[in-house]
Amino acid sequence: MAVNMAVSRIKREFKEVMRSEEIVQCSIKIELINDSWTELRGEIAGPPDTPYEGGKFVLEIKVPETYPFNPPKVRFITKIWHPNISSVTGAICLDILKDNWAAAMTLRTVLLSLQALLAAAEPDDPQDAVVAYQYKDKYQLFVMTARHWTNVYAGGPHKYPDCDAKIQRLKDMGIDEHDARAVLSKENWDLEKATESLFS
Amino acid sequence: MENEQNDNVNRDELIMQQQRDIEREISDTIPLVSEKLPVNCLNAEYIGDAVFTSKIEDLSAKYSHLRRTRPDGNCFFRAFAYAYLEHLISNKEDYDKFRQLGENSKDKLVQLGFPSFTLEDFHETFMEVVKRVDPSTSNPDILSEQLHKIFNDQGYSDYVVVYLRLLTSGKLQEEADFYQNFIEGNFTIEEFRHQEVEPMYKESDHIHIIALCSALGVGVRVEYMDRGEGGTVKAHDFPEGQTPKVFLIYRPGHYDILYPK
Repeated sequence: MAVNMAVSRIKREFKEVMRSEEIVQCSIKIELINDSWTELRGEIAGPPDTPYEGGKFVLEIKVPETYPFNPPKVRFITKIWHPNISSVTGAICLDILKDNWAAAMTLRTVLLSLQALLAAAEPDDPQDAVVAYQYKDKYQLFVMTARHWTNVYAGGPHKYPDCDAKIQRLKDMGIDEHDARAVLSKENWDLEKATESLFS
Repeated sequence: MENEQNDNVNRDELIMQQQRDIEREISDTIPLVSEKLPVNCLNAEYIGDAVFTSKIEDLSAKYSHLRRTRPDGNCFFRAFAYAYLEHLISNKEDYDKFRQLGENSKDKLVQLGFPSFTLEDFHETFMEVVKRVDPSTSNPDILSEQLHKIFNDQGYSDYVVVYLRLLTSGKLQEEADFYQNFIEGNFTIEEFRHQEVEPMYKESDHIHIIALCSALGVGVRVEYMDRGEGGTVKAHDFPEGQTPKVFLIYRPGHYDILYPK
């Protein structure tokens, strides 16, 4: 009974998202990845006037047997630089995905809430402490880093040749591109410190 | 740092997993709603405890039976729904009124701003349950049996709980100015509804009871049994002055259903 309820609910929700306004505006999207209805792929557009603008962010959505009484498990597959999302695993810190989930919420609610999270970070309740620290301490650098990640991983429009050049320097030393980007982001794009932290 | 982050994620996951395991263990052993049991079955839990033994004796003077509910944080809502529907089985007049109120409640919640998509789902299931105990369709014994079966089917049972949570939340929103006075700490009504009322498994307090009772126009008597002095249970009626149709026993953290003599 429980499994069927979860699946039939997801089927109905799927239709809801499909005919919702947001999908017409290409702001959220949801896709099946197999026939089971318990694993889905979501996509949200980065909200305007944020460092994520112009990017498309892909999400992994797993629906538990006990859905809708327990929340879906959601994480970012697209790499993202945001205080409430792990830059390493894509894990998300959002109350409605944990204790404050309610059965009256839907996948659409989740996707829209994640979009809202991109527009309004909560650095005091971080998932990624490094990003949160940069957000609070060096906001301009945070914005640049987040835009750069959006450009590289999510197709955003802002290129930063300066960042690319520094990454290239580390690549020349045999460092993997993403590792180079991660460490430079973490060290506020200080090449010397990044090198130090990689080789010490 | 990366490791530390992974550790944090894993620890969170582990805690949630452990919590789910505990919940499952509880659900496997206790039915959502039990058969009727004699009130003095409580004695087994308090052997050698003078305070509770004397209170159970006091309770037995007024009530013959009780029904246990699963202690999963939803017990108030589940106990309330079961007890009231059971009352309706043999009260055609109350039943008709309640059914009408149930039918109308969805539009009211939509007006209050609840998303009609999920609301419809819960309302439909809730009304299906109400219809299945219609006194004009069968005799009380068969309907009672039916009710018991429905409430021990997790799907139906939980859908009913969700709908009552939504009705409670709706009432809090509708009369926010009044209910704000009951909320401790710096919560707004809005935050309280989203954090303490709408999510499953969140325990109920007086404010939940008052809001639900007034939303449905049903009187509830709660017998409080705790470690307090006096050797008797203390009854409290919600809303005050209304004839109670639902009788519950409260022991710290948990509600069960009572049957008056």
